[in-house]
Amino acid sequence: MDILHNLAFGFEHALTLQNLMYCAIGCVVGTLVGLLPGLGPLSTISLLLPLTYSIPTTGSLIMLSGIYYGAQYGDSVSAITMKIPHASSIVACIDGYQMTLKGKTGLALFTAGISSFIGGTVAIVVLATLAPTLGEVAFLFGPADYCALMLFGFVCVSFVTTGSLLNGLAMALIGVLLGTIGTDVNSGTARFTMDMPFLMDGIGLISIALGCFGIAEIVKNLDSGSQLTPFNGKIKLMPTWAEFKRIIPSALRGSVIGSFLGILPGGGPTIAQFAAYAVDKRFSKYKDEIGHGAIEGVAGQAAADEAAARTSFIPLMSIGIPENAVMALMMGAFIIKGIQPGPNMIAGHPELFWGLVASMWVGNCFLVILNVPLVRYWLSVFKIPFSVLFPSILFFCCIGTFSINNNLDDIFITSIFGLMGYMFMRLKLDPAPLMLGFILGPMLEENFRRALLLSRGDFSAFITRPISGTLFVLIAIFILWQVLVFFYQSRSLMARKQAELQSLG
Amino acid sequence: MNNLNLVRGLVLMAIALTFGLGSLNYQIGHFSRAGPGLFPLLVSCLVFLIGLITVVRSRFVQAEPLSYNMKNIALVLLGLCGFALISEHLNMIAGIVFMVFCSSFAGTSYSVVRNLKISVGLIAVAFAFQYLLGLQLPLI
Repeated sequence: MDILHNLAFGFEHALTLQNLMYCAIGCVVGTLVGLLPGLGPLSTISLLLPLTYSIPTTGSLIMLSGIYYGAQYGDSVSAITMKIPHASSIVACIDGYQMTLKGKTGLALFTAGISSFIGGTVAIVVLATLAPTLGEVAFLFGPADYCALMLFGFVCVSFVTTGSLLNGLAMALIGVLLGTIGTDVNSGTARFTMDMPFLMDGIGLISIALGCFGIAEIVKNLDSGSQLTPFNGKIKLMPTWAEFKRIIPSALRGSVIGSFLGILPGGGPTIAQFAAYAVDKRFSKYKDEIGHGAIEGVAGQAAADEAAARTSFIPLMSIGIPENAVMALMMGAFIIKGIQPGPNMIAGHPELFWGLVASMWVGNCFLVILNVPLVRYWLSVFKIPFSVLFPSILFFCCIGTFSINNNLDDIFITSIFGLMGYMFMRLKLDPAPLMLGFILGPMLEENFRRALLLSRGDFSAFITRPISGTLFVLIAIFILWQVLVFFYQSRSLMARKQAELQSLG
Repeated sequence: MNNLNLVRGLVLMAIALTFGLGSLNYQIGHFSRAGPGLFPLLVSCLVFLIGLITVVRSRFVQAEPLSYNMKNIALVLLGLCGFALISEHLNMIAGIVFMVFCSSFAGTSYSVVRNLKISVGLIAVAFAFQYLLGLQLPLI
């Protein structure tokens, strides 16, 4: 009954007129920006983060999370109607777009909306029950365990987002290095500042996010030079009862998978979608239709997507370690607002935690009530040509960077990171792990130094503690597995080359 | 030098060297009492190692060509820096106009009338930000 009491307390805060408004604004703006080609949740949040500066803490976090799941819904809309994939909606392109080709766009959008609602609801129950419990577990963590957990997160995120352990890990570590710029907390030494006073406090989170995600994405779209044809088909939203009945089991399956995968380090929406889709393909009653525009192909992945997006808040709010790049940005937003996420947050700011949980459900309702029927109007965003859009996005990047410290110098830093982001993109290095590394870097250093101080410089402390020991063994297994895969692949490549040579000779 | 994998490894090594050599300027200390330079040094060693592995690996996997187009990124960055400089010395309205006109060279089509319209729209948005959201913009 404790949970019900807490949830009621949360709704008390989420249902004030002000917070309802912030939630609605967040959902709508998030959906609109998320619809734009090339702007996924990460770039959407970093673009809109500055808007929340002048809003009270609870309201701004409610609005930000509204932006987050709004952007995710927007992503799946553009995936279904026009097959524009984002990182968070690759799977929606498969069956969703097939349904559009069959003229069932409305049904696909309705399915995605309703399934997200179901997934979100399940995830909120998980979040409300699990987060306070996990918060207790977090007190067992020592500095060495925190280090191991963060490294484990790097390894998982690198592998999940980029598919290549080496590239992702390199990016995460570069992020850690960027995080060391500024004043060292322990000794007060200014590191890597090149005697420039504005680097003393370190690089701004927004500068990196806007540079690597905003500017680099814009230039990527400019380079490809493609113009999109707007969607002009008809949209009939309401499904028949028979169709509606097909949504439910698949959505429930997706919610469970998503809720579980969302909690794991490195987990989150992307991997949850794929898993849910794979499970549906195997166990669904209509598995033969999946891949050719089946309702199940949309419902399962949409529910998993939404559920994982919600439950990925759990590690952030209970342990204080973000598990993927989006959560790292959210953590940045928490810290800007003067709140340190972690085991003490639920006890210290109950109105914030439970208000946020309750507002997620409210936001879910907004998505279904506001966005699903209005989606055809949202789609007119695509009628704006990109040549009009990108100067405007650049302008928002500038205003966003400027308004953090009211300092025009920050725009130069953003430009530098724009260049770096572009370079990374061309080198096929994904900037998402960099973001995570940047946020976790100072924490990693702090805990690393503290762990060594406690053990008097003895590295065996990392192995002998049960939690960190287990995590390091997992990391080792993972790396070993990657090495084996590489050797196997290069061997087969060599064999193929030799076979070619022989056939030529 | 047109091999993506090789260049990637070299870039990683360069970044690692920048930070690694830089961190030697600071006190390293011992493991039991770490100085400010120890942690960056360790991390840049790891990045260097990854860069090295990438370079070695590039000899064994199929070469991928590296493609890039400096024009668009240069125009966009010029627009941003120009915006900052002009806003600092003149005012933000001129900065917005400059940014729109400069960066739209990177687009597929160029039209002065359209750029004027975008500039007017963005200036209106900027004023709205100033009066509705309370941002302090050096507009005039």
